[in-house]
Amino acid sequence: MGVAVSTIEVHGSRRWRDFDWQLTLYLLLLIGFGIVLGISAAWNEAGSAGGIPQPVKTVIWTLLGFSLMTVAASVDYHWLRTFAIPIYLFTLGLLVVNLVAGTAISGAQLSVTIAGLDFQFSEISKVLMVVVLAAFLAGRGQRIGRLSTILGAGLLVALPTALVLRQPDLGTALVFVAILGGMLFISGASIGWMALLLGVAVVMTPLALGRLADYQTARLLCFLDPAADPQGACYQLVQALNAVGSGGWLGQGLTAGDANQLGFLPVQTTDFIFTIVAEELGLAGSLILLALFGLLLWRITIIGWRAKDGLGRLVAMGLATMLLFQVVVNIGMVIGLLPVTGIPLPLITYGGSSTVSLLFGMGLVQSVRMRTRTETF
Amino acid sequence: MGSEFEHADLPRSGVRFLAFGVITALLFTIIAGRLFQLQVVEGSVRAEQAEAAHAVDVAIPAERGLVFDRLGRPLVVNVPTWTISVRPADLPDGRRVDVLRRVAMVAGVSAADLEDRLDAFSGSPFDLVPLIDDVDRDAALILAEETARLPGIELQVVPRRQYLNERGQVDGTLLANVVGYTGPINREELETLDDEGYLPDDPIGRTGIEAAFESELRGEYGSVRWERDATGRLVKVIEETSQPVAGRNLVLTIDSRLQRIATESLLWGMREANVSQGVTIVMNPQTGEILAMVSLPSYDNNAFAGGISDELYQSYLADPNLPLRNHAIADIYPPGSTFKLVTGLAALEEGVTSPTKRWPTYGCYQIPGAPTGDCLSDWNRQGFGNLNMVEAFAISSDTFFYQMAVHLGVDRLAKWAYELGFGAPTGIDLPSEASGVIASTDWAHSQGRTGVFTGELAQAGIGQNVIAVTPMQLLNAYAALANGGHLMRPQIVLGEADDEGNLVEQFEPEVLHEVAANPANLQTMRIGARQVITTGHAYNISDLRLPGTLSGKTGTAEFGLPDAQGVLPFHSWFVAYVPSRPGATDASLAVLTFTYRATVIGNVSTEVVKYFLQQYFELDQDLRLDPVTLRLLSGGN
Repeated sequence: MGVAVSTIEVHGSRRWRDFDWQLTLYLLLLIGFGIVLGISAAWNEAGSAGGIPQPVKTVIWTLLGFSLMTVAASVDYHWLRTFAIPIYLFTLGLLVVNLVAGTAISGAQLSVTIAGLDFQFSEISKVLMVVVLAAFLAGRGQRIGRLSTILGAGLLVALPTALVLRQPDLGTALVFVAILGGMLFISGASIGWMALLLGVAVVMTPLALGRLADYQTARLLCFLDPAADPQGACYQLVQALNAVGSGGWLGQGLTAGDANQLGFLPVQTTDFIFTIVAEELGLAGSLILLALFGLLLWRITIIGWRAKDGLGRLVAMGLATMLLFQVVVNIGMVIGLLPVTGIPLPLITYGGSSTVSLLFGMGLVQSVRMRTRTETF
Repeated sequence: MGSEFEHADLPRSGVRFLAFGVITALLFTIIAGRLFQLQVVEGSVRAEQAEAAHAVDVAIPAERGLVFDRLGRPLVVNVPTWTISVRPADLPDGRRVDVLRRVAMVAGVSAADLEDRLDAFSGSPFDLVPLIDDVDRDAALILAEETARLPGIELQVVPRRQYLNERGQVDGTLLANVVGYTGPINREELETLDDEGYLPDDPIGRTGIEAAFESELRGEYGSVRWERDATGRLVKVIEETSQPVAGRNLVLTIDSRLQRIATESLLWGMREANVSQGVTIVMNPQTGEILAMVSLPSYDNNAFAGGISDELYQSYLADPNLPLRNHAIADIYPPGSTFKLVTGLAALEEGVTSPTKRWPTYGCYQIPGAPTGDCLSDWNRQGFGNLNMVEAFAISSDTFFYQMAVHLGVDRLAKWAYELGFGAPTGIDLPSEASGVIASTDWAHSQGRTGVFTGELAQAGIGQNVIAVTPMQLLNAYAALANGGHLMRPQIVLGEADDEGNLVEQFEPEVLHEVAANPANLQTMRIGARQVITTGHAYNISDLRLPGTLSGKTGTAEFGLPDAQGVLPFHSWFVAYVPSRPGATDASLAVLTFTYRATVIGNVSTEVVKYFLQQYFELDQDLRLDPVTLRLLSGGN
């Protein structure tokens, strides 16, 4: 640990040359993509009820996010291990505050308002849980293949998952579970035990389904058959599928998408923003966005692979898992491949907390990247 | 987290990294494939479905056609009225009460009523909810200036039918029974008519010309395709799918000035004789054109155009004289002696008698096969000696025609009734036309009887008991006599007009059929009709200095129970036409008057027709008799 501190002091200036500009470029492109879509989404709407325009807010959040990224990059990620327990407690604290003081947005997503800006603590908690799990798993050392690794990590994730489920925020809970699975897999945990536990989970699924709220059940049924209630519960999905379909090869053009501009997608600026990409930019635009996410994931995975130790590897791959899961689940939901759950599309969906949290996480990845080559020298 | 193994780092598994990459690639490929399916394979279908959800067709009403009389006088026009409506979505929550209160104040209605109407509305908040119909012009102008300060309030101009009299005044009673009126379509009708483009509350012809020519008058609605947002608000016009085509303007065969003369004449006679219902129809026998059609009492069709009050409507329905019915075509009455035309023509055609053969007449005619003493009286209760057809028709001997009917038999009598247009609608283009009753064996069977009694048959011969006709049928039969045997379809619409009432297309007269009678026999009946005027009991009508030779037939048909003085109430008829000389078939004017339930000794209908003819031909004579005393009303001349 002490070594790490001295590393910053001695080699600080040299390390910035290793700051990953490719990663930064992909992030900027995705954020730019999101801002353009946000402007298009709001094109024909009457001016929002005062306050700062959404694109400006996004730019402010982005600047804040890149500042946090720089700070995180400049700190040696090994410190995370030292502060793992306080970070864990801090995360739980945030989720408790969120649960008690949060205000509802469309039923499930909750946020706390600070200085006029909505902040969803659940967003930063995902990144922090990656850190906590990475510290735990890296600490398992040669015991990594034991069942206790899986159970211990499972217990760590269980508490925050229970807290977000109480909100209820099924989306974030699913992200926690996905992060757990992805990190266990990369860490080298026992495939056999994981498969066994996964099997148990699958068997238990019917029990969990019985506990779903009515609106969640309705969404699930619509996913299975969108024609069941096209004017009612499935309205959103049917409209989304038709909007995506009407994009064709090249789309109707920015600000020209009917479903978007006419408000047929009630939450188009949040979870269903991908429909605007599909409707206004067509298959071409959708594939470009998908490719940007692919490049970002590729870059993080490369950094994870080259990380000098398990901690760095797990931080990077935990965040990669989180990104992959959110992208796949969000787009999958919009195009009718997965049931509707409240999971935002990273960097594209409006929401400062999501962007700031993710950029902070990317700062940790930068930190891992910047501390890779010192080992080889 | 710390432990004794802290410094032993985790192994790096290339296989697991590879697996992670493969899974990522696989998931992205699935998403890309699904996008291809949605956007390219199903793209056009989904685009259509999306388009359907975003587009809505809004109808553009067509202007309803106007109606003119045969001389181009406007009878039905459209006038703008103002309706105040509210679009609830645009009504600010906080100012709702203020806005409604201001509207109520200007329009002079109760604000609470407006709130109730708005609360009762259950459609989309972007629909227009009509609050107040027929706002007066001043209030409408005030509100029009204030719309900027009254968000959500919209002023609409709604056309309304206005029914005029012969002088262009707002007075529909003159022609209400011909022209009819429109009313808002009701829910049941809408279910069957929405395929034809009817919208809720659309006006639809309820009766008269308005109903009979509904499709012509309505025109074709246009359509505009609007873009609609998810909340139902219309955002912008996508395209004008079709232009509205205004309804066609109609020219009636009616001459509204004649209609006025006929109405005034009838009103006079009804007043003098204390009669409650009456009909006058004026027609050109050569073409079947109806020049006037009066059914009294009439009603105010402008009251319907403005949305009739329940009170007034109920009073119309409760009136025993049925003002809403066109008695000229919708009601049937015993024709009395006027029916002797049918019996006489049938007897000549079927060889029962010849023009010269004389028959005895009786004070009371013994019904063949009935017990002795079971007889039917002549109207003078004495008989008229031996009479031939012309004499019997002129003097209207009942016992002569009893014998004709009995010798004919019921079915041969019925055959000639049908031949002259009785027992079936005349086909005039007006709704609710009745067929009437003509006794026959088939008719008896339809009544569950084996046949018609001889006594009934004899009475049928003088238009009583088992014979009932509409005034229109009767006039049409005499028109066929007058024109030489062409049974015309009575024509009520002359053609189509431009907006100024100039005829642009004239409809051809239509012959229903040629009466299959020997012209000589028709001529015999025409001579009889002329002698009715000259030697019969039509009083002094023959003294009118007409430009032709008036011919016709009177009729009275007793019915019901005697009054306190023992007098049976009776219907009185007079039907006449004016050829250039006796027996000629060139008459261009035929007129019929029917009065219901008179108890005076004179024939009211004859006096009404006399009065009409005096005015029609602008004679400087007034030969009207008081129908009660039979004395000349004026000095005569």
